Amino acid sequence: MGAIATTRQAAIAVEEDAQYLTFMLGTEMFAIGILCIKEIIEYGNLTVVPMMPAFVRGVINLRGAVVPVVDLSARFGRQNSAITRRSCVVIIEASTEDGHAQDIGLLVDTVSAVLEIPASQIEPPPSFGAKIRADFISGMAKVDGKFVIVLEVDRVLSIDEMSQLAQASPTALEVETQ
Amino acid sequence: MSINLDQAQQTFIVEAREQLQAMEESLLQLESDPGDDDAIGAIFRAAHTIKGSAGLFGLEPIVSFTHIVEDVLDRLRNGSVEVDAGLIAVLLKSSDHMLELINVVANQGAKLAPPALAREMELCQILQEYQTPSPVQAPKAAEASDPQAPAETRLWHIVLRFGPEVFRNGMDPLSFLRYLQTLGEIIHITTLTDAMPSAETWDAESCYLGFDIEFSSAAGHGAINEVFDFVREDCQIQIVAIDDPVPPMNTGLVATFQEQDDPNTAMVTTGQLMPDQRSAARMPAQVTPDKQPATSDGKAKDGAYVRVNADKLDELINLVGELVIASAGASLLARHCNDDSLQESTSTVSGLVEEILDGALRLRMIPIGETFNRFRRVVRDVSQELGKDIDLIISGAETELDKTVVEKIGDPLMHLLRNAMDHGIETAEARLAAGKPAKGHLHLNAYHDSGSIVLEIADDGAGLNRDRILEKAQERGLVAPGASPSDQEIYNLIFEPGFSTAQAVTNLSGRGVGMDVVKRNITLLRGTVDLDSQPGQGTVVRIRLPLTLAIINGFLVGIGQSTYVIPLDMVQECIELSEDDGVCSREQGYLDLRGEVLPLVYLRDHFNHEGPASRRQNVVVVRYAELKAGLVVDDLLGEFQTVIKPLGKLFGALRGISGSTILGSGAVALILDVPALLTQIAQTDNRYTTPPLQQATVR
Repeated sequence: MGAIATTRQAAIAVEEDAQYLTFMLGTEMFAIGILCIKEIIEYGNLTVVPMMPAFVRGVINLRGAVVPVVDLSARFGRQNSAITRRSCVVIIEASTEDGHAQDIGLLVDTVSAVLEIPASQIEPPPSFGAKIRADFISGMAKVDGKFVIVLEVDRVLSIDEMSQLAQASPTALEVETQ
Repeated sequence: MSINLDQAQQTFIVEAREQLQAMEESLLQLESDPGDDDAIGAIFRAAHTIKGSAGLFGLEPIVSFTHIVEDVLDRLRNGSVEVDAGLIAVLLKSSDHMLELINVVANQGAKLAPPALAREMELCQILQEYQTPSPVQAPKAAEASDPQAPAETRLWHIVLRFGPEVFRNGMDPLSFLRYLQTLGEIIHITTLTDAMPSAETWDAESCYLGFDIEFSSAAGHGAINEVFDFVREDCQIQIVAIDDPVPPMNTGLVATFQEQDDPNTAMVTTGQLMPDQRSAARMPAQVTPDKQPATSDGKAKDGAYVRVNADKLDELINLVGELVIASAGASLLARHCNDDSLQESTSTVSGLVEEILDGALRLRMIPIGETFNRFRRVVRDVSQELGKDIDLIISGAETELDKTVVEKIGDPLMHLLRNAMDHGIETAEARLAAGKPAKGHLHLNAYHDSGSIVLEIADDGAGLNRDRILEKAQERGLVAPGASPSDQEIYNLIFEPGFSTAQAVTNLSGRGVGMDVVKRNITLLRGTVDLDSQPGQGTVVRIRLPLTLAIINGFLVGIGQSTYVIPLDMVQECIELSEDDGVCSREQGYLDLRGEVLPLVYLRDHFNHEGPASRRQNVVVVRYAELKAGLVVDDLLGEFQTVIKPLGKLFGALRGISGSTILGSGAVALILDVPALLTQIAQTDNRYTTPPLQQATVR
């Protein structure tokens, strides 16, 4: 156990002074490493794709490319985010397990800031108690005396897992019976 | 230089494959018309080019094998060997073997597998029977490995002046010298540097060098001359035997030399001062008219075609797709602005953009003929295997369609052809007994028809056995007992999985896997296949394919705020659903369409769209195969030609939607996958309706 913790710390130490984008989901603050983020756009002009699980909000036209938008709140098993004036879509480059990159939009309530968080300020994730799946959390960062959950983007936006969930979703009737 | 050579080798592999393809075609042509000198010439040239370029890269196995083939071909060209079925067969096998050798090079493999080597030995033996037993041939065959055949060895003087473009054309002068050494020994070589310019004007990519070579070889003038085939166009080459000059031939040399003064013509100087037995057959005067048309053909081809990476093309087409969408958006805005001149200019732009789109798509179009020609060989081999005499007639080979479609249609076509030959066309005896000519005919045809391409495979065989199919289908429960399907419906049953009426499984077909795969592959290409058969007259299989996979002709419909695209070729008609009708049909779930029952699909419910339906709804009647249904939508928005965007892996499990597209407004519209949608609904309906029925019967 101790060995695992030290390797993790060592791994974090390598990316010292990494930058993170913080954003709000309801009243909770989250952070994502900035390297996988391509851009942030205003929410709008979304086309709903029917028969998909609730966390897939739909698709948007990103300068000619059709990009799916994932509702992060719903992905955590909570209510769908309510759309407000401050709703944003964070475009992230996710990769499938076979190595193909795909852009995915992440619907969040408010984008806060880009912060430089020293590795020493990031704690390993708790094994339970964070109210979201433990494997979604990469670490707990301390910002202004409060904890911010740093997300493990590869897990949260795992295309393979999400498409499996889409298959199992009750609205995809045909697949269910096969 | 080595990187360059690698690239050149790739080109060699590609070209050699093309040459072999051409060689095979000409061989088949020769088989049907043994007196065709053009075909013989083409075969010889193909083999010769392969040998020559393989020599440049030092690919010894290809050179040595091709050399034997070329020898036989040379004799064929001289008329000392007659064309017969055995020769054609062995030459076809040789071309297969050459392809194998080239594949070994392409895969960077070192050696052939032992069975292939055994095959090579066998082929060589057969080929040698066609080679002349005369003594002239013997040293020639051995010349590459055995340069000191003393009786024949002579001294040649070779003056080489490479043109400035040699490097740019991908040639390495050194490789020619290396290849020359396989023919004999370079006794003395002087590098001519007098053309070298001063340092200021010196261009590193140009070749300024020339060589003076004293060359001792047993090979004749023609053989040495051939070494330089690939640089002949822009180089000056003089090959003179220096033993004992003969004056009359010398004047001939001067005459040809004077012609070279024009810098635009090919700079070839050929001199033959010492006639010997071998070169007598290849006097320059004879070689020149023979070669010249070939090189000019090749040149015309180079000018007419540019090799482009397919990815670059796809990128371009993608961009043009964006352009179409962007220009549609611009015209939409212009219409809102009420500015006449702005509207005019945007409409000009969209007109041009549409032309660019057409042009860009046409870039991807290639004629189907190449695929068709591949089947000549298949038909020949299979018909021999089956002991049937079958002729393949090809028409519409110039019909063009998308490259991706052409690549993917090969296998299904092959399957259909094999099927037609195995099951369709009867044996010669059976044909004669039925009062038909003994020779069976297969007709492969392609033509354009209203925005799609139709491929037809027709045979004049026995036709399908309607009753047997029906019997089999009832046995397998595909047709309800007592039902009376139409002939057309029965024939199309053979596309069902696992359906075969053949009594015996042959190694060609009959296993019942195949026709369903054919159908599935064609459906994947957004095509359809259907079949028509006349007992005793034959069977026609018609494959209808879209011209391109990138663009779809769609019909836009609106449900609430969302827009969906229905592929236009599935749409049969649109009808308005009045309020009264709407209420009534909503309860029934079907509509009375001119006396026909039309099941309705409420897309709003099916796709779980929230909000109330509009008061006036419309029904789009779609048809796919035997399924016909009415899709109930809110608005009809008209036709729209659109670029398909795949939805990505995340939506892989989504049934009923095949992709998406971007509208002029910038919004994304989803494309309905009508076949999947209808099948899905049919299945769910069955699930809800069948169980109660079963319960009723149990009780």
